[in-house]
Amino acid sequence: MKGLLALLVRLFPVEFRVQFAPDMLEQMRLDHGRALQRGRLTAVGFTVSTALDLLGAAIAERRDPSWKSPRHRLTGNEDRATMLSSWINDLRHAAFALRRAPGFTAVTIVTLGLAIGANVSIFSVVDAVLLNPLPYADADRLVHIAASAPGSDFPEEFGVAAEFYVHYTERSQLLESVSTYNSFTNTLRLDDRIERVRMSWPTWTFFHTLQATPLLGRLPAAEDEDSGVVISHALWNTWFGSDPDVIGSTVYVSGGDRTVIGVMGPDFWFPSEDTLLGLSNVVDIEDLTPRRFGQPLVARLAPGVDRATLAAELNGLALELPERFGGSANYAELIGQHRAVIRPLSEQLLGVAAGPLWILLGAVAIVLLIACANVANLFTVRAEHRQRDLAVRRALGAGRGALVRSQLAEAVIIAGFAAALAVVLAWLGVPAFISAAPAGVPRIGQAGLTASTLLFTVAAAAFAALVCGVVPALRASSPRLTRLQESGRGSTRERHWGRDALVVGQTALALVLLIESGLLIRSFLELQRVDPGYDLTNIYTFQIAPDDDHLRDAASFARFHTDFADRIAAMPGVESVGLIENVPLNEGLSIAGFFTEATPADSSGTHMSYTWSAGDYFATMGIEVLQGRPFTDSDQVSTLGNIVISETAAKTLWPGENPIGRRLRQGDLETWETVVGVVEDVMQDSFRDQPLALVYFPFVGQSPDSRAISSPAYVVKTSRTDTIGPEIRAAVREASPTAPMYRTYTMEGLAADSMVIVSFTMLTLGIAASLALTLGAIGLFGVLSYVVAERTREIGVRMALGAEAAKVRRMVVKQGARLIAVGVVVGVVVATATSRVLASLLFGVQSTDLATFVGMSAALVMTGLLASYLPARRASRVDPIESLRND
Amino acid sequence: MESAGVSSLEYHVLLAMVEGPLYGYAIKSAVETESAGALTPRAGSLYRVLARLITTGLVVEAEAPDPGSPHPGRTRKYYGLTEPGREILASEARRLRYVSELAEGRLGIARGRR
Repeated sequence: MKGLLALLVRLFPVEFRVQFAPDMLEQMRLDHGRALQRGRLTAVGFTVSTALDLLGAAIAERRDPSWKSPRHRLTGNEDRATMLSSWINDLRHAAFALRRAPGFTAVTIVTLGLAIGANVSIFSVVDAVLLNPLPYADADRLVHIAASAPGSDFPEEFGVAAEFYVHYTERSQLLESVSTYNSFTNTLRLDDRIERVRMSWPTWTFFHTLQATPLLGRLPAAEDEDSGVVISHALWNTWFGSDPDVIGSTVYVSGGDRTVIGVMGPDFWFPSEDTLLGLSNVVDIEDLTPRRFGQPLVARLAPGVDRATLAAELNGLALELPERFGGSANYAELIGQHRAVIRPLSEQLLGVAAGPLWILLGAVAIVLLIACANVANLFTVRAEHRQRDLAVRRALGAGRGALVRSQLAEAVIIAGFAAALAVVLAWLGVPAFISAAPAGVPRIGQAGLTASTLLFTVAAAAFAALVCGVVPALRASSPRLTRLQESGRGSTRERHWGRDALVVGQTALALVLLIESGLLIRSFLELQRVDPGYDLTNIYTFQIAPDDDHLRDAASFARFHTDFADRIAAMPGVESVGLIENVPLNEGLSIAGFFTEATPADSSGTHMSYTWSAGDYFATMGIEVLQGRPFTDSDQVSTLGNIVISETAAKTLWPGENPIGRRLRQGDLETWETVVGVVEDVMQDSFRDQPLALVYFPFVGQSPDSRAISSPAYVVKTSRTDTIGPEIRAAVREASPTAPMYRTYTMEGLAADSMVIVSFTMLTLGIAASLALTLGAIGLFGVLSYVVAERTREIGVRMALGAEAAKVRRMVVKQGARLIAVGVVVGVVVATATSRVLASLLFGVQSTDLATFVGMSAALVMTGLLASYLPARRASRVDPIESLRND
Repeated sequence: MESAGVSSLEYHVLLAMVEGPLYGYAIKSAVETESAGALTPRAGSLYRVLARLITTGLVVEAEAPDPGSPHPGRTRKYYGLTEPGREILASEARRLRYVSELAEGRLGIARGRR
């Protein structure tokens, strides 16, 4: 304690210490002893208050020496100021000065407030979505395991299969716990409420892997197989009215009655926030069908294990699978190519939005930098107007520190108010941002003004205060005394380099944002121009899921759905109706290996997507029939085995040959199908897709146990897409009262949704870019206006000597143009280096697209020249007589 | 309320030295006692005040009153009032009397009564 105090004494200037330090140390030693007699707490209090006093006094002494500077002493006022807490004093002065400059104060507070507010808003979203850890114990040990098989025709990444789960569970030394899951949409019925909801089907070990605990009831155990369900907090609230006695009640889930055994807490969701309940799965090793890929794993690492080590172990373990579970040579080959793809569970669950969110945070950070540059410029100008005042204070003995502090105090006050404004803006803006954001960004609803958000606000404001205050303060605190004699009118070029640098920086940053939003705009336009292979206008789509008792096989479901499709087709304003198992842009497709008669039997076939279709699907969607014919009703009710394939499928299987009449077999079926038609390729998942090899099956297969299409999507060609919904709903209620109707969209809506990440990022980045451009233009305008004002006299003399107005205008614009030119060069370099972060969002345009770079640079130059022209015009109107008389 | 130039700590430091030069800790103790505990100056503040009073010529470093007294350790520095210091103190004392009478009059507190 006393050591600390002795150390603090060393903060005083050496001359002061020479005179007083021994006495000071004696006083502190004696007083500390006295305080100690009254108790340890008193002594601590004494030490703390003495330390603070020493600190304050030492700073004050260094800034404004009270010792040995008799000639420079000012009178009482200045003296007393240093006895008060000097900072508070400075702040009070600054507040007073700012009150007398309401224009300056308002502009700077609003500029910084907007910029900080944008940063706080985006940060609150980034914090909620990405930075908060998952709500599980040791969440950093949770991983998601999928697979890749370089060199095979499997997708780049795919889910593994049940045998992996079994084998890893038994043999892995590095995994503490493993589980696997599926998720799907199925019917949930409680009393007379029927809906299709998202549900998951994890192994019962899953909750133990996460170490999640239920709010009510218990978690599944092995013996619960398929009979118990765990419901989410949201489902408990909405369907069960938060009934505490819900445990033990029965709900109809996914084709059977099940018992509610547990309710999860509000933090729990898996694998998506709209997943409302979890069934329980038990993988039975005796009854396991291997090689059914598509099941991801969730696992908990043993403590201290890293992902690379685990990947090595899992790759090794996978090699044992063919021997243990049998299978073809293809399977063994695939396993040989298999590589485990392991990533943190948090990345898997939250990663979807990570790219755009970081990009947005970067963009608003740039806006903040530009705003700071602007405000710093305003402060510099303000300080230069006060040069004379500062020079007087300096001459009267005020130390440089005191001058810096008094300048900084204004920036601190401005930043403080800006922070308050920012919090209000974020409070208003975050809900708006959340409602405008694309659906499916996990945890975005939790964004708001949390403690960390407020801390971020303080940090951003402190940063702004430093940037806006320190540069002008340092410059202003070294006024040369000669400035007094110049009566504050001097104008030297070197004084401008700081301001010029700020303008160049602003211009460059604004250009970076302009170029990046320009790239997104071009991508968006390119996406709009894509021909996905189907029409978007006047198509309404929905699904129904009847499960009446008489519907039990493919034929009965097919009859129900084709009958119902006919019924809709008869509605007024409906042109045609088609049926499809997976509507493009809404659902993905399954993939299987297909064999032609020429495919070697020991190969795994050609991997292609497949779906089921009926009714006038192709005509309704505007998918062109290129060869042969589309399905007819007779294809649906018999077991003819007629199929339609996409153009790419035809080219893949029979390059250069006529595919009509050729035969095709899906890997795990015995029956052969006959190609009757070839249709245009479609983009199933998004407009970025490559052409897709796709097989369309009819609703009824050749074998009795072939899959029944129970809940297909309907596509309805009608000009009444916005009014037909309720009529169809009424028809569904008549045809099958227990069938939920869901996933109601228009194709235009689905198309907009599929581009929403691009369009949303484009929009927000565009707003940031326009803000940056505006701020940059204002900055340039401000600097040139100031320069013109400062050079009024010089300009007056020039004009008196015969300079033309046009020449004066050119002179000022040229000064602006020079700054813009440097800014453009810097901006292009920075944009080239950084636009790569957009790569995942771009479409049909390179991240270094020349046209965008040139176009946006031109836009910036035009804006900059306009911002230069206005002060130039003012300069050219300077009245020589007036400018000289004013002196 | 402070008069132009003299803070209350400065006033008490000056007051402590009226009867003769004092060393640092004695000044501090006197300030505490004579301000009835209202001021308990810490080392940093006290010695800056002292430094300023010296710099402005109100206080000087003085001879120790009894150089012969045995000190166990180092020799202490003594400080005493200068003539201007005395004058400032007197004028401040007059001012304080004036303002306290003013206050008592207005508050209706008669001298010698409670």
